[in-house]
Amino acid sequence: MRLGAATAAAAPGVTSAPADRRRRGRLRFFLAVLRARPIFALGYAIVTLVVITGALAPVMVPYGPMVADPNVYLQPPGAGHILGTDGTGMDIFSRVLSAPRIDLTIAVLGTLLSATVGTAIGALAGYYEGQRTWRTALSTFVMRAADVLQAFPVFVFAIALVAVFGQSVRSIVLAIAFVNAPIYLRLMRSQVLSIRRLRYVEAAYIAGASDLGILARHVIPNAIAPVLAQLSVNVGWSVLLTAGLSFVGAGVVAPTPEWGSMIAMGFQNVVTGQWWPSVFPGIALGLTVFGFALVGASIEVLADPARRRVLSGTLG
Amino acid sequence: MSLLRYIGRRILFVVPQLLGIILVSFFLVKLIPGDPAVMMLGPTASQQSLDELRQKMGFTQSLPRQLLHYLHDVVRGDLGTSWQTTQPVTQDLFQRFPATLELISFGLLLAIAIGFPLGVAAARLKQGPVRKFADYYGLLAGAMPDFWLALVLIYIFYTKLNWSPPPLGRIDMAVVSPPTVTGSMVIDSLLAGDWDALSSSFGHLVLPVLTLGLINAGPILKMTQSTMERTLASDFVRYADMCGLPRRVVLRQAIRAALPSVVTIVSVLYGFLIGGAVLVEIVFSWGGAGQYAVQGVLNADINPVLGFVVFSAIVSLVIYLMVDLLYFALDPRTRT
Amino acid sequence: MNAAPPVLDVANLWVGYPSYRSETVHALRGINLQVAAGEIVGLVGESGSGKTTLARAVMGLVPEPGAIERGQVLFAGRNLAALDDAARRAVLGRELVMVIPNPRAELNPVLTAGRQISNVVLHHLGVGRREADRIALDMLRAVRIPDPERRFAAYPHELSGGMAQRVVIAIALVCSPRLVISDDATSGLDVTVQSQVLELLQTMVREKGAAALFITRDLAITAHFCTRIAVIYAGEIVEIATTRSFFRRPRHPYSIMLLAAFSHNPALRARWTRSQDAAGDAAVAGCSFAARCVRCRPLCLTEPPSLRAEAADHAVRCHFPVDTAA
Repeated sequence: MRLGAATAAAAPGVTSAPADRRRRGRLRFFLAVLRARPIFALGYAIVTLVVITGALAPVMVPYGPMVADPNVYLQPPGAGHILGTDGTGMDIFSRVLSAPRIDLTIAVLGTLLSATVGTAIGALAGYYEGQRTWRTALSTFVMRAADVLQAFPVFVFAIALVAVFGQSVRSIVLAIAFVNAPIYLRLMRSQVLSIRRLRYVEAAYIAGASDLGILARHVIPNAIAPVLAQLSVNVGWSVLLTAGLSFVGAGVVAPTPEWGSMIAMGFQNVVTGQWWPSVFPGIALGLTVFGFALVGASIEVLADPARRRVLSGTLG
Repeated sequence: MSLLRYIGRRILFVVPQLLGIILVSFFLVKLIPGDPAVMMLGPTASQQSLDELRQKMGFTQSLPRQLLHYLHDVVRGDLGTSWQTTQPVTQDLFQRFPATLELISFGLLLAIAIGFPLGVAAARLKQGPVRKFADYYGLLAGAMPDFWLALVLIYIFYTKLNWSPPPLGRIDMAVVSPPTVTGSMVIDSLLAGDWDALSSSFGHLVLPVLTLGLINAGPILKMTQSTMERTLASDFVRYADMCGLPRRVVLRQAIRAALPSVVTIVSVLYGFLIGGAVLVEIVFSWGGAGQYAVQGVLNADINPVLGFVVFSAIVSLVIYLMVDLLYFALDPRTRT
Repeated sequence: MNAAPPVLDVANLWVGYPSYRSETVHALRGINLQVAAGEIVGLVGESGSGKTTLARAVMGLVPEPGAIERGQVLFAGRNLAALDDAARRAVLGRELVMVIPNPRAELNPVLTAGRQISNVVLHHLGVGRREADRIALDMLRAVRIPDPERRFAAYPHELSGGMAQRVVIAIALVCSPRLVISDDATSGLDVTVQSQVLELLQTMVREKGAAALFITRDLAITAHFCTRIAVIYAGEIVEIATTRSFFRRPRHPYSIMLLAAFSHNPALRARWTRSQDAAGDAAVAGCSFAARCVRCRPLCLTEPPSLRAEAADHAVRCHFPVDTAA
């Protein structure tokens, strides 16, 4: 009892100091990386900016993002309307700033959903592959099913899914989750396949841990890094997909402010010379995807010990 | 010998996959709400005529029966009729697939022409403007929406400069299309020696191909660069250096060794673009297969969607087979 | 010993690798080594002792980010590191060649064995492809590869380890070089194949009148195939002698430790081996071997020894050379 109390009392003092120092060291390393690769810093800045804009849009925008003023349709950028107005007289600046609310929500939810489901199934499929049980048959079936899903033309598949579920935000999220899930499934399966054979997993098995326990405690934590690196890139990609769906009219419906549907609304205007209704939302869309891609690239470098080493070599 | 057996095995392997694709898309498309009978006859049609049409189209049968029926037709090469065009889907697709294939083939050729040399150059130079340009290009090309880039190009080259024809289809309305041989307007005009058609179809092809080329050069560039970097650091290149082979010879060997992964990424992009080029097709009113399928989904026109999926699966199969044959030619290790 | 100028002259060579947030690591610390025509010098050391860095430095190809800090390497009177890329390539593979270990990974996987030999001939001897192919096939016969015509058209993955090693030897010797460097070249082979390959290499080097530098971890190899032996430890040569003198009377404790490692006498092994953990990392200022030396004395921890000649053909870097009479 007294021994227990003593160690409990000593533990925080002993462990937290180095842990604290390590955390501070990591932060300093992270900052050094951002200094050495300013483009990574740019990525984090863009993502932060887009998230903040989305969150604060209602108090930031000068006009209601869905309020059309027919008197001022197709005004070029200038005083009053910084980025001009579109064919129905809605303020483009307000709409571009409000769009991340829906675009990012859909992309993040869709990505998280696909990552969760794909990772879980992929881990199980990888763990049970090669054992001669009914579970093996199941995991083989899952992989073949993923093959089939990936053989589909992505875009048409996504449109069909939205059509099946009915045109709503929920459907778009589901469609994005559906087309992305096989990526995580494969990634996790290959990771788990290599980790499963390692000694410490065998040791846990011999020690009598349950399959799910081994997966949750020993396999998944060690296999998750590439999934995390994929996440950020995938969010950007999902933003593109959402915009593409809306562009063909199978996604978010106008007048809800969304970059893809804004580009579609301005399509005819571009041909006749009014470029601003389409160009500005496109720039915002491209910048956002670019930012997430950069964050993904930085995670990829930081999560890979060998590349981190190379990078730290150039820091000195 | 072993090559033929390999191709045979490959095709055998693909049959169940094709079946799975048809199965999934069949039920998926059946789930799409909207009654084609109502859409075809209009909201004022009588109940009796609706029922008759449903009966005729087989919608009153159970789903598994409908599926069997459909599979039976597919094997005979009959993909049903589209109620939008009132034509057999097979015929529609044979008209539209060449348009899509022309677009993405030329687009990818341009993408290779940009991405491959840039990737090789960036892999050789660890610092400097070329490397920087390649890094930024790869990231930007991956971030840019292709349909938006298409609009920007139209604005610059059609609206402002008036260098290119309006983004309406593959050839001027006033120009007579060349007789169809390959399905590519440009090549067909060339074969027919029809210079008007050639210049018109080429002019229409420039902007969409530029769009696809600029965007898809990104992944090709990244793949080329990373593979070349790995190859240039590999043991056999180091050994070739130690043997004092001239620099250009070593570089040629490294490029040769990097080719298979470039072929892979190009084939993956090709498979993706069959459906993925649809946005660019829409912007340029290209009338391609992807556009046809999207219209089908949006209007509850089932057969075009299914037909498109089957067609693109088959085209992908042919492409992957060609890639495997290329592998055979490129890498002696696959031959044994 | 030899009146002719050495083919290879390494003079006070220092090579360092800069490292992040710590001092530069010196892979080579003042190496002096001469190899004369007709000589086969064995360079023995454990992994990390600087053997491979030395081989790369001789070719003028110190891997990034390493750099030559002091001293120089002269190959036939020329400093390869100072030559431009094209001029260096004209020497490498022609006059100065490398026999690599693990050739199946280092040969180009998409070129036939014959093509890889004839490529070297083509570029160094300035003959046409047909003539180069003929020379390459002759060379395959010379390295006594079974069924040379078939091996000529074989890809590396179709060759056995021993055959691939013969191909590499053919590539190395086809242009009649002046110096052959072999870096652990036979370590991946079966023992029987190993001795065949080594004998072949020795014969061919003699026939072509070349000099050779045999880099190896295996002292036993050097006893049979080398005329002189240099033992390298932590980037320094600690003992250098003719083979005869070295095996008759090894002087450095490290050399003896290496020899004892092959001994069947456990007591002998125990007597000369001291694990590094037991000693800790002492001796930064003194002898680099002090921490592992069973005969370490106070002087060894403070004063670095220099390489002193104990006999005409025998030098050792030790304050207290062992006086064995074996």
